[in-house]
Amino acid sequence: MEYAVETFQLTKTFESKEKGQKRVVRAVDQVDIKVKKGEFFGLLGPNGAGKTTLIKILCTIILPDQGTAKINGYDILKQPYEARNSFGWFHGETGGRSLYWRLNAEDNLRFYAYLQNVPKDIAEKRIKALLEFFDLSEDRKKLVKEYSTGMKVRVMLARALLHNPPILFMDEPTIGLDTISAVDTRKLLQALNTQLGKTIIFTSHNMFEVEQLCDRVAIMRKGKIIADSSPSQLREMLRDIRAVEVEVKESSDLQKIAEKLANTPAVKKILDTTNNAHTHIIRLQVENEYEAIPEIAEKIKSLGIKVSAIRQSEPSFEDIFVKLARGEEQP
Amino acid sequence: MKVDQLIDLFREEFPRSSSELKHTWAVFWANFKIFLSYRTWVITETLSTVASIAMYFFMGLQVDANRFISAGYGDVTWLAFAIVGVSTANYLWMCISRISHSLQHEVSEGTLEPIVSSMIKLRSYIIGQSIRGFIVSSYFMVGTMLIGILVLKAPLIVTVETLLSFIVILVMMIVSYAGIGIMAAGIILVYKKGDPMTFLLASITEFLGGVLFPLNYLQSYPILYGLAWVMPYTYALDAARRVLLTGATLASPLVLYNFAVLVLFTLVFMPIGLRTFKWGMDRIRREGTVATY
Amino acid sequence: MDHGKIVELMSAETPRKKLPTYQVVISFIIRDFLIWWTYKFWLTLDISGNILFVATYYLFSLITSPQQIHEAGYVTGGYFTFALIGIAFQQYVFFAVQSINQSVREEQVNGTMETVLSSATDFKVFLLGETCFFFIICSAFLFISFFVGYLLGATFTLSLESLLSVIVLSALLIASHMAIGVLSAGVIMKTKQGNPLTWVFSWLTQLVSGVFYPLKLLPWYLEWIGKLFPLTYSLDGIRLCLQGGQSLASPAVMNNVINLLIFTVAATPIAVYVFKLGYDAARRDGSLGQY
Repeated sequence: MEYAVETFQLTKTFESKEKGQKRVVRAVDQVDIKVKKGEFFGLLGPNGAGKTTLIKILCTIILPDQGTAKINGYDILKQPYEARNSFGWFHGETGGRSLYWRLNAEDNLRFYAYLQNVPKDIAEKRIKALLEFFDLSEDRKKLVKEYSTGMKVRVMLARALLHNPPILFMDEPTIGLDTISAVDTRKLLQALNTQLGKTIIFTSHNMFEVEQLCDRVAIMRKGKIIADSSPSQLREMLRDIRAVEVEVKESSDLQKIAEKLANTPAVKKILDTTNNAHTHIIRLQVENEYEAIPEIAEKIKSLGIKVSAIRQSEPSFEDIFVKLARGEEQP
Repeated sequence: MKVDQLIDLFREEFPRSSSELKHTWAVFWANFKIFLSYRTWVITETLSTVASIAMYFFMGLQVDANRFISAGYGDVTWLAFAIVGVSTANYLWMCISRISHSLQHEVSEGTLEPIVSSMIKLRSYIIGQSIRGFIVSSYFMVGTMLIGILVLKAPLIVTVETLLSFIVILVMMIVSYAGIGIMAAGIILVYKKGDPMTFLLASITEFLGGVLFPLNYLQSYPILYGLAWVMPYTYALDAARRVLLTGATLASPLVLYNFAVLVLFTLVFMPIGLRTFKWGMDRIRREGTVATY
Repeated sequence: MDHGKIVELMSAETPRKKLPTYQVVISFIIRDFLIWWTYKFWLTLDISGNILFVATYYLFSLITSPQQIHEAGYVTGGYFTFALIGIAFQQYVFFAVQSINQSVREEQVNGTMETVLSSATDFKVFLLGETCFFFIICSAFLFISFFVGYLLGATFTLSLESLLSVIVLSALLIASHMAIGVLSAGVIMKTKQGNPLTWVFSWLTQLVSGVFYPLKLLPWYLEWIGKLFPLTYSLDGIRLCLQGGQSLASPAVMNNVINLLIFTVAATPIAVYVFKLGYDAARRDGSLGQY
């Protein structure tokens, strides 16, 4: 089977000096991933998990310490140009840097079209279409330095697509976008994947986004891939960590209150409690937030507890990691 | 524009043949456009060039003709002598600092990462940036020369032969320094600080190269005098002065000798420069500091 | 640390007295110095560049005749002494118009400007702090230039009166150029650009203030323009003292002092006003931290 992206024990450590002391950070730790051609592959993880470093290694920008990878069958160390010919790269975290601010959007795209060997007539057609799609047609003659961050991000997205590569590395593509552009971008990526068969490697720290888009999801933590699963498994996992937060007005006996609330049928168990000078929060794991919230509210009323808020709680990566760790313990 | 329309556009296949010439052109074209966007800079820089020539004119009024023994350049005024020196020194400085300057900018703006991950070879990038450097600094040099000749009546000998010889020498001067410039760029990539190398080089060149005074005045300091003749610039300036002040051409042995020395310097420095640059590039790719935004 | 402890720490009331201005200024100077000190390599280069520059003019002086300089009343030392004084003191101009601009730009680019100005610091104090540091550095460079010049054989007429007069003239030179620096910093805060005016000012000063040649060599219109620049008066005064053995007691030197005083008194309030305009304008467009 020919893979679009295949890594072999890819490892990268960075040395940083903090107050004269050397610190070694394993940004990417013996990563083995295989992405099939045409797959929409999600890479999920909190900030600092090593997603961006991994992507930059695959894009031949950073050299690995150990291991190697193949992009479209080409070794990134031995055949970098062939590998580069096969992908487009987008990095959302730069917040619109990495463009020439003193050129307009068109000229920025033209420059990269040249560098990526796109013939002139095709480049012009695509630049026009991409700028129109990303709603930049009117501002295409303005220097990029006058753009908002969202606009710059859209130019960068256009740049990654310009040469129509078979593989797209989309590192946090929706990070600086407004809701509407983010929806459009997701639609476009989905269409590129389903209609043109492009392989997409998509990183995000938004679990729901990944769950919605990807065929397969890997979760990264501290440089390691700690889970490689289908979105349905992720959905399962997310379902398991669904939680409701109750913010209580009085701090006395928070634990007791929590225990009482945990008696509600919809509540599976107490996740944790936070109790300090100004916030008193109980987090409860539930089967389904929308059924659980009214039940919990009912219970609160009957117990006469004063609360300031009951709300759905965003699952955190910690919850997932805890969950995964537990899964490993009980095979 | 709908997603489907865009998708249809991407169905079009085309041959993507890599052309280093096109890449070089793209780098030149984009950077020249960026240069033109700094309109106020161009204007103030032009004005300051004019002011500095005027300054040299007034400085020249204090030169004692009896003490100014032009070192074998015939009977010339100090102003003509200095104009050749100043314009070539500035030319060199602008060209050489170009590569390191632009690289530093691209690292801090994050624009180097997309370049590294694209199809361009680094040598095309360097050549493209250098051509932009050539053209911009040529503008200032030609301006300096023209004011010197037309307004201040500096007696430079300009014929087709001397002009051609002068251009050849200039190109050779830049080429002989390109290795050093590229080397400095490689070091800057790693250490990310200013361009100390080229800055120091520029001050030393101006001092030891004999831009404002004939080098025979340096003879009483043998170490400095020896150092002066270790720099390619000294040879280039000597050749340029022989051509523009005495009307010699590349055919004359002294000019040809200087030219040959410049070729030798090129052969030595170029490989060192390219190797250092490759070292710098690989090192930042290992360190993950291709962009430092 | 538990956040409860921080809350506790913060809730302890302390009377916040206004710090005296000099302490704020000193804290600025210390901060700038610490930042500057991290660029040791640059520092070495700056000093070497400075030495090379002086040496270049020493060698150039070998081919000059001292005639015009002596005619202008600077009788001690030849062209080298003359140029050395010009080079050493013109640094103040460079520092005034460029370093202040640069530090304001840097603060804006790094986003530290907003932090500094949102602390309880008066903007005049802020300005004073920013400028003071550069004049200290600049004076250090002045001494280096003079030391190198002395080694290369520059000669001066030194007496207590002439030295004291030079100190007065230097103080006025600094005061007048501080005003110019503040003014251009105000413009830069609004325009967010390396202010082209400051460039024009730098090279025009060099052309018409007689750094490298006596003013008599200039055609009348340039000489007249030269009279608008404070450096012209400072250099003439300082040279009359160090090369002519004169002091404040002589009318020629006094004349320069008076002109510098007039310039400073007229320019300072204008500069502070322009700076305030720029500062308020930047706060109005919310672009203080922008670049």
